[in-house]
Amino acid sequence: MSSSTPQSTLEQAATYQAANARRVKKTRLGQPASILDRAGGSNLIYVLPGLLIYAVFVFVPILAALAVSLTEWNGLGLPSFVGIENYIQLFADDRFYTALGNNAKFIIFYCVVPLIIGVCLAAIITVLRQRERLVLRTLFFLPYVMPTAVLGIIFQWLYNPAFGPFNQFLKAIGLGKIALPWLGDFNFVLPAVGAVATWYFFGFCMVVFLTGMQRIDPQLYDAARVDGAKGWQSFFYITLPSLLPEIRVVLLLTIIASIKSFDLIFTMTRGGPGNATLVPNIYMYQLGFQLNRYGYAAAVAIIGAILVFAVNVAIHQLMRRADRAIH
Amino acid sequence: MAARSAISGPALPFRAILWLFAVITVVPFGLLLLTSIKSKPDLLKGAFVLPAYPHFENYLNAWVDGHFSTYFTNSVLVVIPVVLVSTVLGVLTGFAFAYLSFPMKKAVFVVLTIGMMIPTEAFIIPLYYEMLYLNLINTYWALILTQIAMSVPFSTLFMASAMQQLPTEILEAAVLDGATRPQVLRRVIAPLLMPAVSTLALFLFIWTWNEFLLPLILVNDDALRTLPIGMLFFQGKYTINTPVLTAGAVIVISPIVVVYLIFQRKFIEGMTAGATK
Repeated sequence: MSSSTPQSTLEQAATYQAANARRVKKTRLGQPASILDRAGGSNLIYVLPGLLIYAVFVFVPILAALAVSLTEWNGLGLPSFVGIENYIQLFADDRFYTALGNNAKFIIFYCVVPLIIGVCLAAIITVLRQRERLVLRTLFFLPYVMPTAVLGIIFQWLYNPAFGPFNQFLKAIGLGKIALPWLGDFNFVLPAVGAVATWYFFGFCMVVFLTGMQRIDPQLYDAARVDGAKGWQSFFYITLPSLLPEIRVVLLLTIIASIKSFDLIFTMTRGGPGNATLVPNIYMYQLGFQLNRYGYAAAVAIIGAILVFAVNVAIHQLMRRADRAIH
Repeated sequence: MAARSAISGPALPFRAILWLFAVITVVPFGLLLLTSIKSKPDLLKGAFVLPAYPHFENYLNAWVDGHFSTYFTNSVLVVIPVVLVSTVLGVLTGFAFAYLSFPMKKAVFVVLTIGMMIPTEAFIIPLYYEMLYLNLINTYWALILTQIAMSVPFSTLFMASAMQQLPTEILEAAVLDGATRPQVLRRVIAPLLMPAVSTLALFLFIWTWNEFLLPLILVNDDALRTLPIGMLFFQGKYTINTPVLTAGAVIVISPIVVVYLIFQRKFIEGMTAGATK
């Protein structure tokens, strides 16, 4: 479920919330604990239950995955140690590069497009009255609480070439020529799946930006207008720079979501047709649970985890630099 | 509000754009509902045509023949213990991180953060074998224990940061009045933190209800499948019976929609709070 599952998308918000919690923690961790602190072992009563269950079902498996990735194992006999052989193979594996390449393309649909739509919608929604704005906010956010696996199944039906509503709609408005078998077409399957991700994320992005905009001092806009700034100028010089923290959070969550993407793609295409929507997590699933190459699959999974870490670090760095450039 | 003064004039086109996107967001759900009350012949008349009368028997079919009653029961049986236990563990561990000292606190903190960042996919294979070894594959325990474990980092950090925002004077006063720690936790902290606790429970409910990978891998007995997985296998069997399939989808998502609409404010605010601080 929560924090580490890719599909339970709300989990992104967990990371996000946690980033905030972490900031609070950092300042407190070093301090002597509070008046409630007691010497001796009684403090452990509070931590041990949670930590034990976490250690047994999350942390030990994480360490085991690292170990398994250094072995060759079909799941039946004993794993045989092969060192970094799996990783060497992986870096010469065309399918793995295909998966990474597809993932890079998916980032456009998971991250770039929703971010742009989100920030534009947040900028223009302020023309509406409070009540209408709340209604829209509720609607825009709705996909984000849905199970992505079920959304995948729903959209598979919507895209159905024979009787899917999407193509029926295209035919009805005279675009019957482009009513393609979307999920069966090598060229269009990735954008078709990506469009669902965009649909899923843009409302979330917009709501996050909307929250950020409440922080901006309205006087800034008044001052800008007095100085003769146009609407779009205010947007680029006031709104966008002020939203940097939100942009950071949205970038982080959506890029990580794209690296972790599994359910949506699994339920819509299983990575097909061919390798057209193959991403590392689908590849990992195929290797592990269909081909019984557990060691190699674990290596794919570990690389995915490293990518998530790398993205985290890169975005933090990038945003720090952008922040400095502005102030 | 804030940016209103930035944009003046073209309110109408902006409004149209906003509502267009709102329609795009909602249309798939509308079509889902509409199709779920059609008969198969109705379906052939076109996706956007209303049926002559609503065919609620699709729901009955999904519920009984499609085993959605089983899947629904399983989802409830998994969600309730996960939400209850995870929330309690989050309060306890969060309390320890906020107020207590214990050995290797910083290291434990790092270990929890790692668990929060690593995707489940990365360790699902060892987890599967661990469950196999413990004889828990194809049991509710496999779903309940793993999801409680995975919620620990988030619940802990969430509750710890909420507790750190409590004024220390209140706690000091309680301790000086002679309250023991369990008493302080139960009578002082818990009531003050009810909003945070209920937000946490809300998140945990939605995550657990929507979970896909864990039940996909850890359970392969149809009698133990939860709703999202049941839906997947149902789709495999009944691809052609779209009305029943969509009725099933409505059964899966309606509890979430209801909970979301009731608590949407709490939800959105809880989820977006971090960025503004």
